[in-house]
Amino acid sequence: MTSVSKQPSTGQMRKSKAKADATRRGLLYALPDWVMIVALFFVPIVLLVVMACSRWSLMGGNRGWNFPENFIEVFSHPLLGQSILFTLEYTVIVTIFLLVLGLGLALIVQESSKWNNVLRTCFLLPSATGLASASLLFYALYSPQVGPVTKILSFFGLMEDGGSVLATGQSALWATIIVIVWRFSGYYMLLMMIGLQSIPGELYEAARMDGASTWRIFRSITLPLMKPTIVMCLVYCVTGSILAFDQFFILTKGGPNNATMTVVELIYNFAFDSKKDLGMAAALSLLVLVALVIINSIQMRGMRDNTK
Amino acid sequence: MVSFNKVTRTLAGIAAAALLVPLAACGGNGGGSTASADIPAEGTDDGTEITLWTRSPLERQAQAVVEAYNASHENQVKLEIIPNDDMEGRVGGASQTDSLPDILAGDVVRIPYWASEGIFADITEQIDGLDNLDDIQQGHIEAGTVDGAKHTLPFITDVSVWVWNKDLYEQAGLDPEQGPTDIESFTEQAKAVAALDKDGVAGSYLAGQSGGALVFKLFPSVWADGETVMNEDGTEATLTNDSFKAVLDSYRELANTDNGLGAGSKEETGATWTAPFANGNIGVMPYPNTSLNDIFDAEASGGFEVGVTPIAGTSGNTSTFLGGDAMGISKDCKNVAQAWNFLHWLMQSDTQAEVFAANGYTASNIETLKTAYEDADPRIQTINSTIIDGNGQTPKSSAFNEAFNAAGSPYQLLIQNYVWGSGDSLEADNQAITDVLAQ
Amino acid sequence: MTTPLWKRVIGRILQAILALVFIAPLVWVIVSSFSPQPGSAQTDGWGVNNYVTLFNYQAGLPAYLFNSVVISLITIVLSVVICTMAGYSFSRFEYPGRDLGFMVTLSILMVPYASLLIPLMVWYSQIGLNNTLVGIGLVITLFQLPMSTFIMRNAFDAIPRELEEAAMVDGCNSLQALIRVLVPVVKPSMVTVGLLAFLEAWNNFMIPLYLAGSDNTPLPLAMVNMRQQTMGVIDYGATEAGVVVLMIPAAILFLALQKYYVKGFTAGAVKG
Repeated sequence: MTSVSKQPSTGQMRKSKAKADATRRGLLYALPDWVMIVALFFVPIVLLVVMACSRWSLMGGNRGWNFPENFIEVFSHPLLGQSILFTLEYTVIVTIFLLVLGLGLALIVQESSKWNNVLRTCFLLPSATGLASASLLFYALYSPQVGPVTKILSFFGLMEDGGSVLATGQSALWATIIVIVWRFSGYYMLLMMIGLQSIPGELYEAARMDGASTWRIFRSITLPLMKPTIVMCLVYCVTGSILAFDQFFILTKGGPNNATMTVVELIYNFAFDSKKDLGMAAALSLLVLVALVIINSIQMRGMRDNTK
Repeated sequence: MVSFNKVTRTLAGIAAAALLVPLAACGGNGGGSTASADIPAEGTDDGTEITLWTRSPLERQAQAVVEAYNASHENQVKLEIIPNDDMEGRVGGASQTDSLPDILAGDVVRIPYWASEGIFADITEQIDGLDNLDDIQQGHIEAGTVDGAKHTLPFITDVSVWVWNKDLYEQAGLDPEQGPTDIESFTEQAKAVAALDKDGVAGSYLAGQSGGALVFKLFPSVWADGETVMNEDGTEATLTNDSFKAVLDSYRELANTDNGLGAGSKEETGATWTAPFANGNIGVMPYPNTSLNDIFDAEASGGFEVGVTPIAGTSGNTSTFLGGDAMGISKDCKNVAQAWNFLHWLMQSDTQAEVFAANGYTASNIETLKTAYEDADPRIQTINSTIIDGNGQTPKSSAFNEAFNAAGSPYQLLIQNYVWGSGDSLEADNQAITDVLAQ
Repeated sequence: MTTPLWKRVIGRILQAILALVFIAPLVWVIVSSFSPQPGSAQTDGWGVNNYVTLFNYQAGLPAYLFNSVVISLITIVLSVVICTMAGYSFSRFEYPGRDLGFMVTLSILMVPYASLLIPLMVWYSQIGLNNTLVGIGLVITLFQLPMSTFIMRNAFDAIPRELEEAAMVDGCNSLQALIRVLVPVVKPSMVTVGLLAFLEAWNNFMIPLYLAGSDNTPLPLAMVNMRQQTMGVIDYGATEAGVVVLMIPAAILFLALQKYYVKGFTAGAVKG
């Protein structure tokens, strides 16, 4: 390991020995983490770059370099633009819903009481189900055969009898958003709650003494002080949504007519369905990766500015 | 479960792998490799476990085949059913990790691509050595032929036929014994059932989001008229012909008729496309024969009566889609001789008669189809006749999956645009398919 | 400053409705897995036929459960051990590369695992981990690292340094200090990490979809496969039963450890 310590200058021997010691120990404790990262993260990423620049079909394997052909094919694919737009639309909607609901629920259950504990549990319970089982659950809920959703909607004349909410692009999008909001609201509530609890109670008391309204307190105290938490939630939520896959894989497979094709769905589609071309899939994965790094560093900057 | 058994199996696996190293080394790439000249004509039956993958739509028939083999052989076949939609991904993943099953059966339209990518072992010698080669359904062998090298044999044959619900026909004032004879009568009869205006009942049904079901249902009418869907090499789509237009017009007309196409037709992804007819809610539609067995069973216990007739075109000639699963020995197979034993066994007329004919399933052996169904339901004989008459076809193109079967394929969009959309983009949509096929 | 009673009553009612909305799908799936439905094994009257179908599906429910449990155990043990150590390292030691290590760990969050799985398939067959439960557990652990290391680092940050310094003075080395003095304090966070690892490993289906062969299939993947067992008919009954079987252990553990869960998160976010 690279335990580079500063040259020991006179009188600092003890200090630098302690420093070297800390380096050794620190690295030792972080070693398993590093091993995992190198073996299962760095190596696959390097391999990803290699694959992105190679003719590498799913069944035929590696057939040599072909840079930049994979990238050209990805960029000229008719579904690329559409899937990026759809992913962004989905991300914006999901992020708004989850952040607002998360904060709202957190404000409701913030104070500890028996009743609030029951509410918290109710909101959190869906988070214990997996994304796959949540999607399967709603797949059944939405099905015209056994699920109540179609019956309820058609009772109110909102949709055709025997139809499915997954049938059109727009309704499938909202149906999927409902799954995600149901599954993740509690989780974001928890994160927000923790942020709320770190706001000193005296601030609120002082504001109330001054006769500030609830809305005013929320705007002038809660929101500004919650900004780091909100930005953190934003980063999680945006990243998670851009990488949306499981829910669409199970509920719509990108359909109907490719209307719910997310970018990661498209990666899967290139790799295993339409193209069976791991090279193209790797190229698109790489582009997604770069885009995410850029988006996240912008968001992180927002967070850092604030914590100063 | 993890105990001794697994250890021995692992050791056996290592031993087998060690034996195979020299074999694989002399194999070379592409077009399959591991087949060796040492395989006995009938394969080896020595108590080996053989793994077999097939698609979920054919579960019922596949179970019957495997049970019959396991009951009469030392070798034991372990069957795994893969969901239809995941098949490509699973096979691709397994081929990457060298963990393909010994025998791989897959949708016959996907076979040309798999074979050309070297998924299967070359078993030309063994296939040519079969005594009854000429009797075997050729479409499934041709699908797996690459540059003259043969890789596959038929596992289960699935054909498309027109079926109609006799109970609904009677209510609609149609002759329940007279099914459609051409596209025109198909449309008329569907509209007559639609006119019943019964809750949940519709004239016909389409799987609008399932390219696989749409080729299976619509192509036979084109072939019946002597037209084509692709050029000879499978590099160009030819779906602008009058025959296919007539088919599309028929469905477009039904889509614009109240109750003409069952609710959900436009959105059906193929996961439930046979259910509406099976539940007695559809008048007439093209249907897979493998799903008919369940309906026959239901009929025997008081369900609705169903009629079966071959799919026709505009002229009244008939054809069918020779679908189903073809099987081959995979490149990763460690027990080639044992796997061949299974393939060889299944190709025998006795086996075909025992496993398929006796159960009312459709055999893949012409001789069996002709002789072993004398006591069978006449409707099963109708199904068989579509194979025997030789009019059926299997489309072959290595880009078939991407162009036609894959979710959101250009073919799916063509159908969507014509049947439910503006209906004026046929030329452009056909070109989009060609663009994929030509690459 | 007290809210009038009627306002509070209405507030409670609205809150109760909201809570019901969140719980309703879970109740629905449990009820309907036992209820009669067309197209499932349970067509007449109430009963457990859907669970029988599930039990006998292909390799059988016990085999899938076994795989799920093994994968979960591997993931829990690895996540807790690795993240506790890494959190300790990133919180307590000053050394070059510390911040880099932490940032790199966090950066795992940015990578879609769908895209890492493709090279991982190839890489795993090189190192002999393809189609193994350990291999699957390792990848799930990898994606637990960012969040869990974050939680553990913050948990250690929240402990006053004097605590371990006192232990060091008593002659403990850093490992002993960690195990004897610090671990008891950060235990809630470790339980959180373990619980998160369990929930992820128990529920994940994408990773096994690529890395598991048929004999190593865990339950969620088997459920997704079972959904479309027969073309043309979806057995919703068995699917619902599967969702219930998947949900119950996760929900029970979650409810039992909820306090730890919230506490762990709180400790993790003190210095968010």
